[in-house]
Amino acid sequence: MSYIGSKPADAVLETDDIADGVVTTSKLADDSVTNPKLFTGSQQNFRNIIINGDMSIAQRGTSTSSVSTTQYPSLDRFQMLTQTAGSAVFTVSQDTDVPSGQGFAKSQKIDVTTALDPYASSNFTNLRYIMEGQMLQYLKKGTANAESLTLSFWVKSNKTGTYIAELFDADNSRQISKAYTIDSASTWEKKTITFAGDTTGTLDNDNNRSLDLRFWLGAGSSYTSGTLNTSWNSSTNANRAVGQVNFADSTSNDFWITGVQLEAGTTASDFEFLPHDVNLRRCLRYYQFVASDANKDLCVGAYYSANSILGSIQLKEVMRTTPSIDIETGTSYYASFLNNTVDTLNTFTLSSSSHNKSICLVNSTEASGIVGYASILRANNVNSYLAFDSEL
Amino acid sequence: MIETVTKNYDTITNEFCSYQVTYVNSNRVKSVPLDEANTDYQLIQEWIAEGNTVIDNGGGE
Repeated sequence: MSYIGSKPADAVLETDDIADGVVTTSKLADDSVTNPKLFTGSQQNFRNIIINGDMSIAQRGTSTSSVSTTQYPSLDRFQMLTQTAGSAVFTVSQDTDVPSGQGFAKSQKIDVTTALDPYASSNFTNLRYIMEGQMLQYLKKGTANAESLTLSFWVKSNKTGTYIAELFDADNSRQISKAYTIDSASTWEKKTITFAGDTTGTLDNDNNRSLDLRFWLGAGSSYTSGTLNTSWNSSTNANRAVGQVNFADSTSNDFWITGVQLEAGTTASDFEFLPHDVNLRRCLRYYQFVASDANKDLCVGAYYSANSILGSIQLKEVMRTTPSIDIETGTSYYASFLNNTVDTLNTFTLSSSSHNKSICLVNSTEASGIVGYASILRANNVNSYLAFDSEL
Repeated sequence: MIETVTKNYDTITNEFCSYQVTYVNSNRVKSVPLDEANTDYQLIQEWIAEGNTVIDNGGGE
């Protein structure tokens, strides 16, 4: 018997009274549910561990072709991890093909441009997302209270069949794999996978790589010849990708993914959409694009000597670690504007004073200015490119 | 794939301060800090461990 909305007021609610769909909005008076009753879980806001899971941020560019080695080709935070002597080649891009009516505007598309069939035994291709250990301490991994993790995502491919999603603990060389199936060709499907909590192997509380989420796309027999490891164990390669189809077996094959969410618990909540600016700022911890193209400002510079110019850039977000300068070099790709003249430069290097909050660019090779003069540093060629990289 | 690695010396202090890395078939270059948490730095150490040699042109004027 249901007591909601009727007396006696002190009746004990039973499972049927609060079953899915029973407690409708009309049965809840305004202000009847107070904040303390809204949730009891550990992570409500920012519950999605995956940054840029909606594939909205692509600082490096919206498309990269000829992807055959490990790199971050397009979408922020998502790496193509390739171990292919063979070699499969892909174009990776940000795409507007998305599941209808789900709120997503972008997806990540992986297009096979050079096929590989079969993979050599020790070769593989993964779409990988890497997590810092200090971001994951609340998961209590390696304790009796370890949290389960639930992965949800939307996927589409003409290449149907079994695919593998894997969590890999890089601190303890442990892993767990789960198979999912793309059932219908060229149709968006939502997949939900729950990984049990791991009571063995704590994650380091630091800014280094601790946990990978890997979407397998192809693998050689070294990774497929055993029995799929569906519970946490020490990593044995042969058990990591058993059953994985070879997505790279034809240049006709395309793979789209979006709405990637990894969260504590055993159920998948709705995708946590963040405002675009918040999503971008989270990505800036790992990569900061500054400028490309001609006549684009970089920063203010000053001539330390006639043949040495320094330029200081305050980073837009504290980065994970002191970043590398990621720069496209070439004759006169950069320029220093001073004293009604232009001093052209080919590149910049990193000064010893640089750190994860501020960078000092240096050129002591082509610079030719006036000691003590200030200048404006600019990108000076359509092919110039400057960014800071502290990715995992 | 790493093609060359060269030591950079700081303009002001003249100390070894970063690595300059070039890549096969690419105009893209990285200037990599001496920071063990930087993954480019980690890749350079692996590249060195494989028997490759860092170019050191010195830092003098």
